[in-house]
Amino acid sequence: MPLAAASGQGTSLLFGVVRDTLGQPVRANLRDVSGGHETTADGTGRYRLTVIAGTAVVRVGYVGLRSIVDTVVLAAGDSLERDYRLEAAAVELQATIVTAAKHSQLLDQSVTSVALVSDTDLARRAVSTVDEAVNKAPGVLFLNGQVNIRGSSGFVEGLGSRVLLLVDGVPANQGDRGGIDWDMVPVADVDHVEVVKGAGSALYGSAALGGVVNLITHDIPLGLHGQFRATGGTYANPPYDAWQFRDYTGGLAGVDATGSYGTETLRGSLTLGGRHSDGYREQDRSNQWETSGRAEWVPESGTRVTASGAWTSHQYQNFPTWCVAGACDTRGQAYQPFMIDNSGRGSYTRSNKGYVAATLDRTSSPSFAWQVRGSWLRTHFTDANPDDWSVANRLGAEARGVLHLGGGDDRVFTVGIEGAHTGTTSDIFGDSGRVGDHTEIEFAPYGEAEQRIGRLMLTAGARLDHVIVDDSIATTVASPRIGAVMPSALGTWRASAGRGFRAPTLAERYVTTTAFGFKVVPNPDLRPETAWSFEVGNSGAFASWGRVDAALFWTEARQLIEPAFIVFVDPVTHDSTPEIQIQNVSRARLRGLDASVAITPVPALTATLAYLYLDSRDLTRDTVLSFRPRHLFTVSSDYRWRSWSVGADFRYTSRIERIELDQIFGQDPRVPARVLDLRAGWERGPVSARLLVTNALNYMYNFVPRTLEPVRTMSVVATWTY
Amino acid sequence: MIAAMRSRVARAALAVVAALACNDGLRPTTCSGICGTVTFNGTAPESTQAVFVVAYHTFPHSRDSLFNFQPPLGALLRPLPLGGGAMFYDIPVEAGRYEWVLAVWVKQGFNLSNADSTLREAGYYRDPADTSQPGVVTVSTPGTAAVDFVVDFAHMHPPCHYYSPPCP
Repeated sequence: MPLAAASGQGTSLLFGVVRDTLGQPVRANLRDVSGGHETTADGTGRYRLTVIAGTAVVRVGYVGLRSIVDTVVLAAGDSLERDYRLEAAAVELQATIVTAAKHSQLLDQSVTSVALVSDTDLARRAVSTVDEAVNKAPGVLFLNGQVNIRGSSGFVEGLGSRVLLLVDGVPANQGDRGGIDWDMVPVADVDHVEVVKGAGSALYGSAALGGVVNLITHDIPLGLHGQFRATGGTYANPPYDAWQFRDYTGGLAGVDATGSYGTETLRGSLTLGGRHSDGYREQDRSNQWETSGRAEWVPESGTRVTASGAWTSHQYQNFPTWCVAGACDTRGQAYQPFMIDNSGRGSYTRSNKGYVAATLDRTSSPSFAWQVRGSWLRTHFTDANPDDWSVANRLGAEARGVLHLGGGDDRVFTVGIEGAHTGTTSDIFGDSGRVGDHTEIEFAPYGEAEQRIGRLMLTAGARLDHVIVDDSIATTVASPRIGAVMPSALGTWRASAGRGFRAPTLAERYVTTTAFGFKVVPNPDLRPETAWSFEVGNSGAFASWGRVDAALFWTEARQLIEPAFIVFVDPVTHDSTPEIQIQNVSRARLRGLDASVAITPVPALTATLAYLYLDSRDLTRDTVLSFRPRHLFTVSSDYRWRSWSVGADFRYTSRIERIELDQIFGQDPRVPARVLDLRAGWERGPVSARLLVTNALNYMYNFVPRTLEPVRTMSVVATWTY
Repeated sequence: MIAAMRSRVARAALAVVAALACNDGLRPTTCSGICGTVTFNGTAPESTQAVFVVAYHTFPHSRDSLFNFQPPLGALLRPLPLGGGAMFYDIPVEAGRYEWVLAVWVKQGFNLSNADSTLREAGYYRDPADTSQPGVVTVSTPGTAAVDFVVDFAHMHPPCHYYSPPCP
């Protein structure tokens, strides 16, 4: 993309309001294409954009709406009011993403599939946590809080996610366990989410084996702004008398308040929030307090310094597994999905987590921009029953440069270097059950080049990760990627092949605990798991009111890290005892079709259909891979009339064919999931109210063993925006 | 064009409604596998590690078949809560014919190599027609209920008691 003109020229001010064709304000992105200045309209659609004096080309865009390109002529120091009206369009081609290539590019230029969750999606679903919003993205499925992109992660109790979480580009997976804390960032701060599918290790290294989820937080608008959001709701009671477990209706409540102030050079925002939930099961209460802040300084055109951070304290009761006969008083039932196994009574977690990050972005010429950042991520959990704790600190740094030769997108080079130091102090991941320390150092240079040849855009790059654990165990992994994008009369074709990897987490190497009555023993010799991912896809408009995106994907994974039973033989007594150890055990293949269709038959009506077909095989055991449903079908639709809107999501997830520890849980009932969410909204000026009914049919189902998925939950969200 | 598309949307909506009409989610189940009530006689010895209910397709007449029970060894997660007079139990086993359903008492210090000295039969389901003999249980989907028996801590037998030939 063209980058900023050199500093030193005079500037002018463009201001006004952006609305859609129904008159509703739009948080549109406005960009001075020639000058490089950029801003985002606030919740009321108001914007102020600084442009280079003279003739300026301004692009006004928003996901799901047709972009406008406007040319204005302004003298230095002048200001001009300009209102824009964007039309709904499923054929919007100009959505801009920043995750797939580590620089700004159009969605259709990405060599891998990318799903977007816009702030409209976030708002109309009235979600309280980020994972609730990401969960409905095409090809994405959460299993008890663990994200799967095209079946990448399966379910391993939060250990070792095969998806990398970024917050504004900063890696945010836990330092010790490698899992994801979806409550790390208040949902009120999130503007939109980019979900990059397939191996992303060529740019992001470990954990990006199955994909990358980047939470993009709101830009801070100029002037004084605020938002207050209050949520209240109830959980449905069990649909059968035999499953009743309490004599009251569970509830939930939460408040978030955000304030911001911005000038041309300094901007800042602060969010405070808290929420309580009674939970929908026995021993399921939770309380959460959260805060986040962001400050920006723009000392000169093309330079921006950003400091951001968030802190969340979450105390929650745990519901390890539901109760089966013999494990509590099941009142004659084979199992009680709302009641807890007696062995889990008193299980409780206090989880504190947060990060701070500082970034310097500099556009030093029309063709070159660079960024440096530093970050500190801290997680600290304390469990009761079983009693254990862990503190992890991850210090990260990255320097990156993006060169657009000739100032355009025909030849782009991205190079960078990333490093991280993780320190863990823990009793469960420490020294064979005692408190101990472990460290992991990661160091990785990377580079990727994009070259246009005619209509074909070719991409090639690689990253070399060097990982050192406890100053003694060293591993080097190369992650290359090649890709191509070619627009045609039949849409834009894309193809890519890339290698992904995930280094074993400190928790997987050193965990010492007891699970299911068996001792879990450490395995310091774990090696990284790796995968090659291939994809061929196409996206484009098939009519003025419809757009399709489809991809065939194929992943070959090796050395997958999973729990396995081993037999320990005492060297003295020769007694043998079964134990659990995390090992490199499996080869696996995941292939399938990931397709979605978006239609806008009339401006007020939008609908999306998404389907994922997943053929997953555990090649070591010659079985279906565990925790991977074969079919995932989602249909969403929203209709707006004046200030009112209604919408619905329906998702069908086929029955999970195989689970881990099948010999223990194999006889438990498992069913396909059919979940209907309904929503309605009303907006007038700065005030809005939304009603959300998730799992409206109160359908009873589970994905992971003995863990009931949420029941019908009705909530109302009231928002006031200044 | 729009009218045709609307028709397609309507058909898709009907398909969704049809799918929703088939609600086959989780439901209350009184039994899956083998279930019933165990009644305790006596007090569990102080050396007790746990008591489990297991089932054998074929009666184990030798050490070689001692561990051929259902659910498999790794599933021995749910020891019967001790101390009460009676307890509803449920063991998740596949459909089929089981010649012996019994409670196994496990002594502290058990491991796979000392099983003969640390395991005891503590009671088993008996043939209603001849209570001196084990009762055969045939499990169908979803399960077989009322497989009730007594656990008697005062009359427990080591595995070799049932071997051919039995231990002295």
